[in-house]
Amino acid sequence: MKTSWRSVQKTAILIFGLLFIIALAGCSVAKQADSNKPQQQGEASTDSRKLVVDLANEAANLDPGLQYNFDSYAVYRNIFDNLLRRDPATNEFTAGVAEAWKQDSPTEWTFTIRSDIKFHNGDPLTAEDAAFSIQRILDKEFLSPQYANFNMIASAEAEGNELKITTNEPSPTLLAQLVNLSIVPKKYVEEVGNEQFNLNPVGSGAYLFDSWAKGTNITLKANEEYWDGKPEVAAVEFRFVPDRASRVADLLSGKADFVSGVSPDDVESIQSNSNLQIISTPTERIAFLAFNMVDDTPTKSTAVNQAIAHGINYDSIIESLLQGYGERVTQVLTPLSFGYDPSISGFDYDPEKAKELLKEAGYDNGITLDLPTSPSFDQRVVQAIQGDLDKIGIKVNIVSTDHATFLKKVQDPARKWGSLRYGIWSCGCMDADGTLLPLFRTGTIWSSYSNPEFDQAVDAARTTTDEAVRIENYKTALNILQQDVPGIGLYQHFAIYGASNKLQWQPDPQENFFVKDIKWVK
Amino acid sequence: MLYVGRRIVQALVSIFGVATIIFFILRLTGDPVLLMVPQNATAEDIAVLRHALGLDQPVGLQYLQFLKQIFTADLGYSYIQNMPVLDIVMERIPYTIDLAISALILTVIIGVPLGMITAIYKGTWIEKICMPFILVGQSMPAFWTGILLIMLFAVQLKWLPSSGAENLQSLILPAMTLASLSIATVARMTRSSMLEQLGQDYVRTARSKGVGIPRMLYRHLLRNASIPIITVIGLECANLLGGSVITETIFAWPGLGQLTIQAIAARDFPLVQAVVVLGAAVYIFINLITDLIYGWIDPRIKLGRETSQ
Repeated sequence: MKTSWRSVQKTAILIFGLLFIIALAGCSVAKQADSNKPQQQGEASTDSRKLVVDLANEAANLDPGLQYNFDSYAVYRNIFDNLLRRDPATNEFTAGVAEAWKQDSPTEWTFTIRSDIKFHNGDPLTAEDAAFSIQRILDKEFLSPQYANFNMIASAEAEGNELKITTNEPSPTLLAQLVNLSIVPKKYVEEVGNEQFNLNPVGSGAYLFDSWAKGTNITLKANEEYWDGKPEVAAVEFRFVPDRASRVADLLSGKADFVSGVSPDDVESIQSNSNLQIISTPTERIAFLAFNMVDDTPTKSTAVNQAIAHGINYDSIIESLLQGYGERVTQVLTPLSFGYDPSISGFDYDPEKAKELLKEAGYDNGITLDLPTSPSFDQRVVQAIQGDLDKIGIKVNIVSTDHATFLKKVQDPARKWGSLRYGIWSCGCMDADGTLLPLFRTGTIWSSYSNPEFDQAVDAARTTTDEAVRIENYKTALNILQQDVPGIGLYQHFAIYGASNKLQWQPDPQENFFVKDIKWVK
Repeated sequence: MLYVGRRIVQALVSIFGVATIIFFILRLTGDPVLLMVPQNATAEDIAVLRHALGLDQPVGLQYLQFLKQIFTADLGYSYIQNMPVLDIVMERIPYTIDLAISALILTVIIGVPLGMITAIYKGTWIEKICMPFILVGQSMPAFWTGILLIMLFAVQLKWLPSSGAENLQSLILPAMTLASLSIATVARMTRSSMLEQLGQDYVRTARSKGVGIPRMLYRHLLRNASIPIITVIGLECANLLGGSVITETIFAWPGLGQLTIQAIAARDFPLVQAVVVLGAAVYIFINLITDLIYGWIDPRIKLGRETSQ
């Protein structure tokens, strides 16, 4: 009798416990659902004119000074205004927060700040705010990952409605970087502190920060009083969906209206759905191969590198792997970069010539080269390169590690990383300076190449604002690269987006995502 | 009591060991600073940032600092999110617990009966219908199950959302995906445990006396077969909490699994350390609870261990 009573007790406790757990789970999920109530659920809601965008990663941070992350750009650039803009069609600099600008001397610039801009909290935007936005990035204590983009600036001061910028030496890329400078409100940031500012950002942009469910989504709503006209899309929800297949599924199921980071392989399934469209554009990103010419590897020899350059079937990579979403290049620059030289001939696919070059270099019996890489790069392209080089007698040994380890290996000053590596590069500045200097100048963290004449040319091009002198120097630099072959351009990278065909949007080569530019077709 | 105390000390030592291992493994691979700066950063820019994060100090010193943090329960600041690590983790924990508990409930209410049915009706058509489900559940990886479920229920039928964590419906597909493997494991364990009991003399005796199967199940079979089943459920419970990385990534479910992947990819040292140490603590805690439940269900286990010492 006693034992059976105990067993009843135990069963009761077990059942009670289970019910308790179920109730607990129900409660916490219900709470989450509650907190998200204002949002539309399920179907992407074109009726309410709210745009749902799937991004691959969560915005790390909404403080424009405190991060350097592609997916954060997509979100926060809608909240803040930039000092300058680029015309999406011509890529020329146009007015942003600065309505006019002039160069007073080789190192001094004056920007006139518009007087009719208000931050979302009602405070007017002044030259003080613009100066502050630069000063905090330059402040070494603030530890801005953006520092490297603005370290050409010696000082930024406000004088009335003018912003005065002095650079350390004549800087031709200043304007290109100021296109990426978001203006933050000095008074508000100083009042609430950096941590609160990140959680509740206040800008002057076309969209106001609304909510941020960590790990899930960020919502913004239209700034009805925006100085440059009221945006058409009333609200936007950025969702963070790391898995590519899930992003495509979101688009197919109507959960998302717009999806970034689409691969050429997804194009067909998206296009086969009559409610969807593919939006694509050539970008300033360059896919390239870089060779190690500093360490003692076969790629120290120019002949070997030329052989590799002739051994790669560029058209096959672009046509079969990228489904045409790529463009042949002849140099380690896209035609969109300032300094691009159309007279450079590049290298043709010519396996016979490649084999001869290898023989001349003394590698009749073939060679084995190490190619370090990480999953961040398209591994199919890496494998295609491996296959092509195998045909000319070069065995490529792919060494794949995670991206952090890859960077540590490649950027180690000892340069013992292997022989060749594939990469995709963009400086976000559309200027040869942002590509040639970091990739090939002696002593930069990426460069495994050294040639004093090349160094001199890129240095000369970055310390003058005289465009003719700059072009002449880049011509010299690119010709040296064509001869020495420390690296070759493979193709111009295309950005591919999947979208509902109810929206209309023109992508730009810098892969900006301004929601204000989006229109609903119906 | 002595037994409980000893198990708790063992658990604490294990957590300490995990913390040490993760600390050193993280520092052997990759450099977070390189991932934080723009591609055109110079060596000086990198050095400034590295110094500010204390990563230029000797590893031994960094380790002492880390131990101090653990004991003061201050796990530091995330490198990339500029927030206290503990706040970030606490925000994500409820999501992982919701997912794990839903999957656990599915596992128990589907896995145990499935195992019992296939044992009791061994050799009949009922078993032939049920077994394929167990085999499929056991052999399909989570990323495949997940994508198939999304294709069917979200893209084709449009019944359930394909990703996100907005409402209760959002929980169904990830919970199913996460549970599919556990259901198969628990069903198999239940089945073999039940088959073993069904072969025992007392069952044959009882059945020959005319005791029906339902009564047998409750009075004898389930009780006697329960120890291995509870063991496997306990293990699965820990797996569900820890093994949700893939499922959370597929369904964009903002739990600890997804957070861990992002933190590791960015080499956000403080965040990875916090997630791994807390994860290990939960795992070890669940194992502790499972062991203690054994002692409660079958006092011989506890006694046996204590007397053998």
